[in-house]
Amino acid sequence: MRLIRAELLKARRRQATWVLLIVALLLTAAIYLLIGKAIGGASCAFRFDDFSDDTCVIAFPGAYALIDQFAFATLGGVLAIVYAAAFVGADWNWGTLRNVIARGESRAMYLLAKAAGLAIVLAIGCLAIFFFAFVMTYLTAFTNGIPVASPLRGHGLEDLGANLILGYLVVLERAALGLAVAVVLRSQLAGAVVGIVLYLGEGIVTTYLTLTSIGRNFGNGGFGGLQAIGPEWFQYLPMTVGNQLLSWAPGVAGDLATGGVQGFFLKPVPLEQALPAVLIYLFGAIAISILAFNRQEIA
Amino acid sequence: MDMPTAAPTSVAAQEFMPRTDAPTPELAVATRGLTKSYGQRVALTGLDMSVPTGKVYGFLGPNGSGKTTALRLLTGLLRPNAGTISLFGQPYTWHDRTRLFKVGALIETPAFYPYLSGAENLQVLGASGPPTDPSRIDQVLQYVGMSGRAKSPVQTYSLGMKQRLGIAAAMLSDPDLLLLDEPANGLDPAGMVAMRETLRYFTGELGKTVVISSHLLHEVQQLADVVGIIDRGRLIREGPLTELLETSGRVRVRVDPAEMTKAAAILRDLASDRPLYGIDSGEQAGWFTVGVAPGRAVEINRALAAAGIYASGLEPGSDLESLFLELTGSGGAVAASPAAPDAAPAAPVAPVAPADPGPPPMSQP
Repeated sequence: MRLIRAELLKARRRQATWVLLIVALLLTAAIYLLIGKAIGGASCAFRFDDFSDDTCVIAFPGAYALIDQFAFATLGGVLAIVYAAAFVGADWNWGTLRNVIARGESRAMYLLAKAAGLAIVLAIGCLAIFFFAFVMTYLTAFTNGIPVASPLRGHGLEDLGANLILGYLVVLERAALGLAVAVVLRSQLAGAVVGIVLYLGEGIVTTYLTLTSIGRNFGNGGFGGLQAIGPEWFQYLPMTVGNQLLSWAPGVAGDLATGGVQGFFLKPVPLEQALPAVLIYLFGAIAISILAFNRQEIA
Repeated sequence: MDMPTAAPTSVAAQEFMPRTDAPTPELAVATRGLTKSYGQRVALTGLDMSVPTGKVYGFLGPNGSGKTTALRLLTGLLRPNAGTISLFGQPYTWHDRTRLFKVGALIETPAFYPYLSGAENLQVLGASGPPTDPSRIDQVLQYVGMSGRAKSPVQTYSLGMKQRLGIAAAMLSDPDLLLLDEPANGLDPAGMVAMRETLRYFTGELGKTVVISSHLLHEVQQLADVVGIIDRGRLIREGPLTELLETSGRVRVRVDPAEMTKAAAILRDLASDRPLYGIDSGEQAGWFTVGVAPGRAVEINRALAAAGIYASGLEPGSDLESLFLELTGSGGAVAASPAAPDAAPAAPVAPVAPADPGPPPMSQP
């Protein structure tokens, strides 16, 4: 516990923590302002799939889709990678790691404490962004005269909780990947850069593979082949499977909300597969970090 | 001008034999055959180091000789390729981390979280390793005279203040053994005196052990009880400082710089088994350091006078610097060995370090 408390003190006093939170809140605000501007008082034009009221992105429950996609999948995911890399990689850059190791601290315990501290900070950050997005949803809906409905509509608190938990899991998974890259490369900058490159790279690769799958399917079955297929193997890649998991959050309109072009043509990974896959990536990344750290010499 | 390199003396060479005696609890640190390579580059080759408990051990060596590598191995930062380490008579290996609970270390430059204050840095450090009483933070900050700046962010500290904080961090868990790598780096004279007093208290009053790796020979000479000299990854001399100095007397003699070549030939004959050092330019031009017992100063003076060379300065003495230069072959040797060809005076050798200024206010441990 004393190690986790020390990690929380470091996080609280570090400027990067607050800078990233402010950036996240500003970008969230910007997205809602843009949506509000685009709506321009008309009826809700930003919907997912079937144009029902339930899929309006500034009215609940459809608003969950935008919140989840933005707070957790896209913005939250990238910021989680960057922050995790900075959180753990700084010890290598500043040389503070050798103080800890030379005092006889267990490497595994130190890294686990770091991961736990990171998880707590990210939980607070996710809650802040999540509820800030709520506020922005209400403001955007109110200024456009659109009835926002209640976030507790449907299954009430259960939906809210499920959205938060699934979203937080996805953020944690991405943070764990950022942490693993930073530990293996022993650098916060390298961890952040490589993490983002992997994140974007996987997006590009899966989009290409999706189009290839669509083309192949279309070639085999003509327009009939445009029916959703899958799930394909690349939907289980670390970043993509996180999106797949989020697509099962209540209020998120199927894979379309979080899966981009994939949502039109590919069936989502079932929840009972997406959830274990995310957990495997999460704990696998931490395990790899510990293994790598245990073997590392600290110059 | 050719400058023959000084070869290790015969005295030093006999120390190359590997030690086979077992570590005992009387030794705070004992390494046997400790070897470490970085890829193709060998940093340590069979280091046999014995640090007696309750003493200040001066660990000396030229840049790149393997001092820091040895300290990193002692603190589990690096893994040895071969050899053993014992701490207080107990074997210590890479994963045997709890042995380090008795050790406090400052390795290379002090490293801290720049945005945290000095006290906060010690607080987060105290959360790792052995259980540390929070009240200890104020105590060690007082030891190093940093109580007044304890709440300022470390990024506002000078190098010397960071160094003081590094020493405080090393002492945080009240260790029985302190490993300090160049602790005097960046310290002002007052800081150096304070550090010296603190470490003396640490060993003298508390019976703890200190290993200081340093290139500040004058500083080590004032502080160390035992000295180990390392060169090219190998310990070439180790023993009580007083004994080492007794066997390594020297006489410094100054002649007219124009007569240095002629004087070098005479002096080389007088100290045929040890290298001769001379300074042929700058303010110190004309000084020779001759490796002979201080009692032979008269003999030197007489020999020079007989050749028509009159010494303008003669300083019999014994210091760590000349021992260090002799053993490691650092600096410019005028004559390396009896077999060496005639050589002219060489490049400047670092002059003996000036005395400390008067004692400034010290932090009382």
